[in-house]
Amino acid sequence: MTVYVIRRLIAVIPVMLVVATVSFVLIRLAPGDPASVIAGPYASAEDIAQMQRALGLDQPLPVQLVKWWGRLARGNLGDSIFLRRPVIEAILERLEPTLLLTAWSMLVAVLVGIPVGVISARHHNTVLDQSFMALALLGLSVPNFLLGLLMILCFGVWLGWLPVAGYAALETGLWPNLRSLIMPALALGLVQSALIARITRSSMLDVLREQYILSGRSKGLSERTVIYKHALKNAIIPTLTVIGITFALLVGGAVVIETVFNIPGLGRLIISAVLRRDYPVVQGVVLLIAVTYTAINLLVDLAYLAIDPRIRFR
Amino acid sequence: MKRLIFSALALSLLATPALAQDTPRMGGVLKAAMIGEPPSLDLHWTTAVITQQITWHIYETLYTYDKNLQPIPMLAESHTVTDGGRRYTITLRKNVKFHNGKEMTSADVVPSLQRWGKMSTTGKALWKSVEAVEAKDPYTVVIHLKEPSGSLLFGLGSPNNGAAIYPKDVMAAAGEGQIKEFIGTGPYRFIEHKPDRHIKLARFKEYAARSEPADGGYGGKRVAYFDEILFIPVPDEAVRLAGVETGEYHYAQTIKADQYDRVKSLPALEPQVVKPYGWITAVPNHKQGVMANKKVRQAFLAALDMEPIMSAAIGNKAFYRLEGALFYPEQAAFHSTSGVTGYSQKNPTKAKALLAEAGYKGEPVRWITTKEYDWMYNAALVAKQQMEAAGFVVDLQVLDWATLVQRRNKPELYDIFSTGFTLGADPAIATSIQCNWPGWWCNEEKERLVAEMLKETDPKKRKAQIERVQAIFYDDVGRVKFGDYFTFQVTRKELRGFRPQPFLYFWNSWLAK
Repeated sequence: MTVYVIRRLIAVIPVMLVVATVSFVLIRLAPGDPASVIAGPYASAEDIAQMQRALGLDQPLPVQLVKWWGRLARGNLGDSIFLRRPVIEAILERLEPTLLLTAWSMLVAVLVGIPVGVISARHHNTVLDQSFMALALLGLSVPNFLLGLLMILCFGVWLGWLPVAGYAALETGLWPNLRSLIMPALALGLVQSALIARITRSSMLDVLREQYILSGRSKGLSERTVIYKHALKNAIIPTLTVIGITFALLVGGAVVIETVFNIPGLGRLIISAVLRRDYPVVQGVVLLIAVTYTAINLLVDLAYLAIDPRIRFR
Repeated sequence: MKRLIFSALALSLLATPALAQDTPRMGGVLKAAMIGEPPSLDLHWTTAVITQQITWHIYETLYTYDKNLQPIPMLAESHTVTDGGRRYTITLRKNVKFHNGKEMTSADVVPSLQRWGKMSTTGKALWKSVEAVEAKDPYTVVIHLKEPSGSLLFGLGSPNNGAAIYPKDVMAAAGEGQIKEFIGTGPYRFIEHKPDRHIKLARFKEYAARSEPADGGYGGKRVAYFDEILFIPVPDEAVRLAGVETGEYHYAQTIKADQYDRVKSLPALEPQVVKPYGWITAVPNHKQGVMANKKVRQAFLAALDMEPIMSAAIGNKAFYRLEGALFYPEQAAFHSTSGVTGYSQKNPTKAKALLAEAGYKGEPVRWITTKEYDWMYNAALVAKQQMEAAGFVVDLQVLDWATLVQRRNKPELYDIFSTGFTLGADPAIATSIQCNWPGWWCNEEKERLVAEMLKETDPKKRKAQIERVQAIFYDDVGRVKFGDYFTFQVTRKELRGFRPQPFLYFWNSWLAK
């Protein structure tokens, strides 16, 4: 087990090197450059060239790439061109809103998705099941930004219950913080819950056909025990995998939702960095997302182990 | 009679609070929803409009503009011109403090002007005729010119990419890079920049305001009524509007014109039309490709009908104007319609004939545009159809803005690009007629006129030069101007004293209640 974890951790290093290089090359392959963005719309070509020299962007690409590797080896992600601070600082500043938003959305997705999936499976082919699944299909089809904008209109503008946009940091208090995250978390989480519900339902249906469920029922176990103790525990493995994937989808969704709800998180950071070609920030955030994703994958694999004792990693 | 007294009483009751609210009041935090983040807070570094809009509450310039967009002193007290127009001796105002508590003197002004002349686009254009800048004494700065200049004071007063006066230490610390401390002499001082959250400014208590009353332009007494201003980046337009509607913001920038009627019907909101704001433009590439041929450019111009183009771009008629002149009617000193020949010809037959004369064989015209500014894309789309009706083959390439501004510097990559020109205060340094700007509209006669205009100080003679430049603009098709557009901003009713202006500002506005 320990050996397995160590092996997995070592395997992360080449992955990171590839991600670091690819993100470096890709963002530079994109046309446009930070100098012309800083110089603004009325700057001439000479002004832009002058700006490039000032920013050190006139050096040949391989030289810049080697410098980037060198900095990375020392654990330095470089400085943002636009934010006038180290990339790592910019990322840490944005971590709180994104982490909270992802956590709340995940909670919404799981708390809605799993029960809906289980209930649907239990009442297979009834009106309840079909209406749940129709809702789930709708949930999967509605883009989260549209759901977000509709919520803003409904709860923000018409009813005035929640702020239309913006983020109240945790330091301003738990309630203001929660209030500012309710709509975005729902917009993001509900769409994901649809996916979780569908997977839970189909995997529950498979499990409910198993012999041991039949034997459990025939020996007189209550339906509750059969469903929640015996069936759900076995059916949850595919759901867990999906929850892991959901995390990646949530980070992707956060990019859009943070823009719609004006939340200063990692999503906004990367969007504005890409639009302005803030190379070091794009590279840093991509690398961070890759690290997180790899870590989540590892955690999901370890969770299998905890839930299903038959699984052994070597 | 009783009824009359009663109604009079009722009226006076209604009128009293309104009057009370119209008395300026100190205090409150203004929340302004802006379209995004400024690329830099160093005004010398960037021509980005949003940098100017935010930072000129912090920094000030030696000159600014009155309501007719003519230069008037700001940090300068007065000036004299000697040596046949080649020497400007500028007296500075005394007891003007920077936000760091130090007094502003010529020791700050001289390096600020030099840095601006070296770095900024406007500054570089002017500095071609500047020989030296020197400090004569702490309150006197002398600018020596190689030749007289009609543009110097306009340039020194220009808000965009303006000649902000920074403390000398701040510039010394910055070296060749951007300034790291944001200190000026303005009514508001910089507190913090939390990217994607806000830029916070607070009232500068020791602000040295000018004594003349505000004239409705940018000059005179500036008062900081708010305790703080928060410039909040809100990139989504629907959210900016929803936020100002629910009271989260007091001001929302750049709202689509089709929301005008709705906003007008909401009692808490005040629609604000910024008139004039800019032109919608297509810039042909004079250096290389199909558009380098004058006849092809003339065919392009002949094919166009500006009304449907402007209507597609802007939508609401209250927000555009079909106007071919290079300067706005609001700039009385420069506006003239003489020489405006060939605006909105709607003549595909003439265009076809010109194309045949040019020997055009259906080479695709590569037009680069962007949806980031949807008016650029919409205008290009309609113009493309009109060009195709006249026999052009148009390859409309939609890019993101950052890509567009990079590609337009490479003559081999395009034939036309979309852009807008915002108000420029001096004709001789207006981007719309510069030769060294993308599109490379360089025309011998025009360059001669522009050089003359730069020297000319007599307004009448300048106007005559503008008229001749205008005639060349239409004959040579320097750029294609589709028309003037105005922007739509929304404020809440409690924001008082706000004036919609081409150069946005919040001094002299206050929050009622």
